[in-house]
Amino acid sequence: MKKSETFSRWGIIFAGIGMAIGTGNLWRFPRIASQYGGGAFMIAWIVFLFIWAIPLLTVELALGKKIRMGVIGSFGKMMGRKYAWMGTFVAFVTAAITFYYTVVTGWCVKYLFATCFQGLIRKEPIQYWETFSTSWEPVGFHFLAVFIGCSIIYFGVVKGIERANKILIPSLFVLLLIAVGRSLTLPGAVQGLNFLFSPNLAQLGNIKVWLNALSQAAWSTGAGWGLMLTLGVYSRKKENPLLTTATLGFGNNMASLLAAAAVIPTVFSFFAGQNLAQEKVLDIMKQGNEGLTFKWIPILFSQIPSGNFFLALFFLALCFAAFSSLISQLELISRIFMDTGLTRKKAVTIVGVCCFVLGLPSALSMGFFNNQDWVWAMGLVVSGSFFLILILKAGPRKIREEIITRPEHKIRLGRWFDFLVTFFLPVQIIAMLGWWFWDSYSANPGNWWNILSKTSIGTVIFQWAVALGIFIIFNKLITKKLSLDKK
Amino acid sequence: MTIEALLTMILIFGICLGGFILFLYLSSKEN
Repeated sequence: MKKSETFSRWGIIFAGIGMAIGTGNLWRFPRIASQYGGGAFMIAWIVFLFIWAIPLLTVELALGKKIRMGVIGSFGKMMGRKYAWMGTFVAFVTAAITFYYTVVTGWCVKYLFATCFQGLIRKEPIQYWETFSTSWEPVGFHFLAVFIGCSIIYFGVVKGIERANKILIPSLFVLLLIAVGRSLTLPGAVQGLNFLFSPNLAQLGNIKVWLNALSQAAWSTGAGWGLMLTLGVYSRKKENPLLTTATLGFGNNMASLLAAAAVIPTVFSFFAGQNLAQEKVLDIMKQGNEGLTFKWIPILFSQIPSGNFFLALFFLALCFAAFSSLISQLELISRIFMDTGLTRKKAVTIVGVCCFVLGLPSALSMGFFNNQDWVWAMGLVVSGSFFLILILKAGPRKIREEIITRPEHKIRLGRWFDFLVTFFLPVQIIAMLGWWFWDSYSANPGNWWNILSKTSIGTVIFQWAVALGIFIIFNKLITKKLSLDKK
Repeated sequence: MTIEALLTMILIFGICLGGFILFLYLSSKEN
């Protein structure tokens, strides 16, 4: 591996934190934490950092470092090439998410522009969002997001990914700290903190709290996406995967906590002194990610002193978070093309064109966007289960002793890792999938099978099955392209 | 702010910030 393609010690930590921190930290965590028990939810969320995110991320980083190939190559090398389709599915799920994540990133850029130059704060935000999201404008901003993301990775690992994350991540934390400082000095902010951090330990007996904490830990840290594996390809030989992933896991959680401490007290200050303030806040939190961010946040900031400045700051932080994740996602897809022998420049160009074209339906139709989010966000649990199958097939002990640990490592994973991946990870996957299927069925019992419905179980199973079928049929061709039979 | 909420906030932030600093330190020592 060339020096220009190898992360420095700080480089992989910043890139890893950047990979993990995304828009979900800013717009999903505060919503979910406030809806599912505040302090109790956070205790469960930290537990899952240890028993879901860190073990999976450690295995991913170690695999990338050992095999020095992207997701498909790593699965093919570890499990045998006839199982490489599992890696193809993992890569495709992340790619499918990237296709609409570039659209989301574009929205963030648009709202930053609108705040700075179009006086968004003086407009009617709900109407503004409806007009924007149904126009052609998202296509332009989707193109801009793809262009910026691809331009960064075009410059390579050190000059592109590492350098960008070294700017984005510290800046993001500074922005979040300023936002927290502002929100905590608003009238009524203390009620927000009370609401957010009240322990309410009885909630720990509620299975939904645990399942939502698990889903937040799984999606927010990027464990099981194949992203950490891709970054691991460029890590130094002596890198200790456990320490690196634990650092980024805690860094990611810190960003989520700061975001919650910035958003929730601001929402409370809006309703300060009103009756049923808590119920009103919960109503806003139930409006979904876009509802909170693009409709309610501008309304809330319009009521606070220097609101325009702080609104711009919020959307700038959101842009930084979005791009820091997008870079890793684009690199995951590009790495697979590079594994076939293409140069970085050619691979990135192909990825840029594909992302723009395949993201167009989501940019033009919120219905399509919601369908893709519905199908592939849950696909990540299947991706996680494929990583688990890989670990179990190779043997947890072998993975721990031969792939993760090197003789010079002083801090090592203990035997608890074997126990965790053999018993706890399968239980978590089954619980998450089972709960999701039951919840989806209960919400729509008469139409759950309909593959044409935007948010049904049928459309999920259908799209997963089509993708898996294609990857299994073309597995031989894909492994040949990646020269897995020769290496 | 209630004492329970304050203590929970200190605990949660303490674990996350403490964990971040600890592992950053350990990884810098090892690397």
